[in-house]
Amino acid sequence: MFGAFGKQETPKEMEEILNDTITPQELEKFEKVYMKELKDKKCVTAKTQFEYAWCLVRSKYGADINNGVKIFEGLCKDDPDNKRDHIYYLAIAYTRMKDYTTAQKYVQAFLEIEPNNMQVMLLDEHIEKELNKEFKKDAAIAGGALLVLGGLLGVGFALAKKYHDKKKPDEEVRKNEPAN
Amino acid sequence: MNENFSRISRLIKSKIDDTIDKISIMSAPYSYSYIFKYIIIGDMGVGKSCLLHQFTEKKFMASCPHTIGVEFGTRIIEVDKQKIKLQIWDTAGQERFRAVTRSYYRGAAGCLMVYDITRRSTYNHLSSWLTDTKNLTNPSTVIFLIGNKSDLESTREVTYEEAKKFADENGLMFAETSAMTGQNVEEAFLETARKIYQSVQDGRLDLNSAESGVQQKQPQRQGRTSLTDDTQTNKDNCSC
Ligand SMILES: Nc1nc2c(ncn2[C@@H]2O[C@H](COP(=O)(O)OP(=O)(O)OP(=O)(O)O)[C@@H](O)[C@H]2O)c(=O)[nH]1
Ligand SMILES: [Mg+2]
Repeated sequence: MFGAFGKQETPKEMEEILNDTITPQELEKFEKVYMKELKDKKCVTAKTQFEYAWCLVRSKYGADINNGVKIFEGLCKDDPDNKRDHIYYLAIAYTRMKDYTTAQKYVQAFLEIEPNNMQVMLLDEHIEKELNKEFKKDAAIAGGALLVLGGLLGVGFALAKKYHDKKKPDEEVRKNEPAN
Repeated sequence: MNENFSRISRLIKSKIDDTIDKISIMSAPYSYSYIFKYIIIGDMGVGKSCLLHQFTEKKFMASCPHTIGVEFGTRIIEVDKQKIKLQIWDTAGQERFRAVTRSYYRGAAGCLMVYDITRRSTYNHLSSWLTDTKNLTNPSTVIFLIGNKSDLESTREVTYEEAKKFADENGLMFAETSAMTGQNVEEAFLETARKIYQSVQDGRLDLNSAESGVQQKQPQRQGRTSLTDDTQTNKDNCSC
């Protein structure tokens, strides 16, 4: 009875995750912890960095997402045990910023380590869809140009042909006239 | 060249998918009157993602990696002849996600709190999960306690009776489920929805507040202008 729902909603499920944004208050909460550690100890624990970066990636603002990316890039080196999470969030971050080509690189890096991860496969599907949309746009422009070119060539051929065949139709008309 | 070819084949495939989508939207009644937000919480490995998957896809995932952050699923169900869309946030149980996943609790109408009947530690942590839920949701949020992996009877560490007592003491609904066999999975999600719907009917839940976790859709079909009329007729219909 409900079987039909799952499949069709799949792409939208990823969209829900990508569209989900954090409230400014929530973000501020984690920012405060991060800034405090930075001030007091000059070095922030991996846990605090991770939490703040995750919140940044969920922000409405591109600048925040960018800052999140920087932290996750650092964490890939400094906290290699959880690299899987960091790569995932880098892919999410670039997808949210609509840099699908970079996002896809992270997705592929993830799938090399964990080929059947559902979360990442769904993200991959979403990125493919967006890349196809971009490709469609490009194709439409290229296709449009081809059509114009084709059209011009077509007209050219038609004219040439008409000129070349000019006599034939006339003859035919003449031939037909007596029959009328 | 090769890449372009695969792009084109993907393009064709996506066109076909789009068309199929359009056809099914036209033919199936996808409209619904309410959206309920759910969260699924509990220790790592208790089977939260498997429960969600069993509920939305009717399938069991034997090997399932730890969730990163959150996962999301939806399904449209029917309660009292009303179509309800469940939007389900499945949170990661690993400790390092805990602080941030708390931001997903806000505005949940239903909360499925899961432990694993074969691992007592996951049961012992329930009070901490419950504290989080009480602090971060509102009083009308329906909490359903789930003892998962009921198919593993031979390695059970928590009895039904003990958990039932805990649930009763804390005013929680309760069932033992198996995401593997599907036992009681449907029931847990649906009974939560029924209880939420009941609160809506009784006016205990403020639909205008974002915190309630319930959104009401404007009725879309012809001749249905007032939802109060709708619910009224439904009540009449259902008093059988
Ligand atoms: N036998 C049995 N195994 C189950 C059941 N539910 C889940 N499992 C298994 O338990 C493991 C963990 O399940 P998940 O759904 O990934 O657990 P989770 O709660 O989502 O874990 P996190 O994402 O880390 O929080 C998987 O290997 C599942 O196959 C069940 O009902 N019975
Ligand atoms: Mg999970």
